[in-house]
Amino acid sequence: MITIDQQQRLLFNVARRLKEKITAYAVGGTAMMFLGFKDATLDIDIVFENEKDRNTFKEAIKSLGYLEMNAIKVYGVKRNTPEMFTLDEERFDLFVIEVIDFIFSPTMRKRAEQIHQFGDKLILKIADPHDIILMKCATDRLKDKDDARKIINLTKINWDIIVEEAREQIYLGKERAAFDLGYFLEDLIKMDLDIPQQMLDKLFDIVEKQAKSKKSKSHSEEK
Amino acid sequence: MQKTILLQKLSGIQTIESVRDILHVSKPMAIYYIHRLRKNGYVKTRRQSNNHRVYSISIDNKLGGKSYFDIINMYSPIKISTSVTYQIYGKEPGLEEALSYAIKTRSLRTILASLALFKKISNWTRLYNLAKENHIERQVGALYDLSKKIMKVRRMTKRFRNYSLSQKKYRFEYVIPGLKSRDFVDIEKAWKVYLPFNKADLDGFL
Repeated sequence: MITIDQQQRLLFNVARRLKEKITAYAVGGTAMMFLGFKDATLDIDIVFENEKDRNTFKEAIKSLGYLEMNAIKVYGVKRNTPEMFTLDEERFDLFVIEVIDFIFSPTMRKRAEQIHQFGDKLILKIADPHDIILMKCATDRLKDKDDARKIINLTKINWDIIVEEAREQIYLGKERAAFDLGYFLEDLIKMDLDIPQQMLDKLFDIVEKQAKSKKSKSHSEEK
Repeated sequence: MQKTILLQKLSGIQTIESVRDILHVSKPMAIYYIHRLRKNGYVKTRRQSNNHRVYSISIDNKLGGKSYFDIINMYSPIKISTSVTYQIYGKEPGLEEALSYAIKTRSLRTILASLALFKKISNWTRLYNLAKENHIERQVGALYDLSKKIMKVRRMTKRFRNYSLSQKKYRFEYVIPGLKSRDFVDIEKAWKVYLPFNKADLDGFL
């Protein structure tokens, strides 16, 4: 586990070794630590806007002694798994725009208003709590459900933002977004969380419309 | 109660009374909860004029670092309290960076407060480079001339002025979109930049 202090020191050390100025986004447990929802995290999850920035970051952490590891061990066989680097108990998960089944969309980037700058070269923007919940449903781990529960219990969630983002994800080509989110939230309801039924109904409507439009498309193709 | 839950519930400016109200606890328990958060580095304490304690509770207190707003508040008679988080770690942010950041926020009060930085800015080369990077050279120049009218400021280098002063080909630009000045038209014309302040806005510096 990495504590807040360790994370700060580590990111500052990485920033000192960066060869170029880069901007990245903290998601998952890292973002939750910056937002005060958590004291420690298993891994530092970072999303980059392009491959070049990720490579610059990779070079810096490699020079600190981090070694690449296989993402299948943690995420299983999924698309858009991160490049992972580990040293002792610390681990970096580095994504480029796509986080498993979600895209770190322009609206998500806009919502990431908190900025933390390390030295001159590393600017880390912190994902909004709504987006952290969304991305938590991309992975199917118990700890992610626990994290989502923490956020929902501790902040005022604007469920419309989450539904809108699910729509945006579908627009960006992630067709399963609404379905996965609905499934994830139903699991959270089983954990006694107060999630408005209206919100689930909206997600169900989206999925229903998707199914209908697919059906009509396949019918027209058959004809 | 868990530390993270305490932190989320009490984030912001608090007094013992407000902590009691939020958590529905007795005074000794409220003191104990603040003590727990302080031990973890989340609390900064100030005293009011009546000697009452005011607690600023935030994750930022633990993370450390400095923000551009801290720099502006250090030098300006007009103070800013904001929900915007821009923390910098591992280096002391310069006055020039703080000024350039303030102009980029396009927030009236932030820009107004940042005018005080002209009293201390001495590295004009750094300021010019930052302004050029952000395409705000003329805005910096116009705000400098405005500051000169209301307070004693450091002298701007001729090179800065010559490099950034308006040319015929330039179009008028805004510091804050849609806001023009009635009282500083001369500066606006010289730099081809609309200033967002009138004389009355600058009372805080007089």
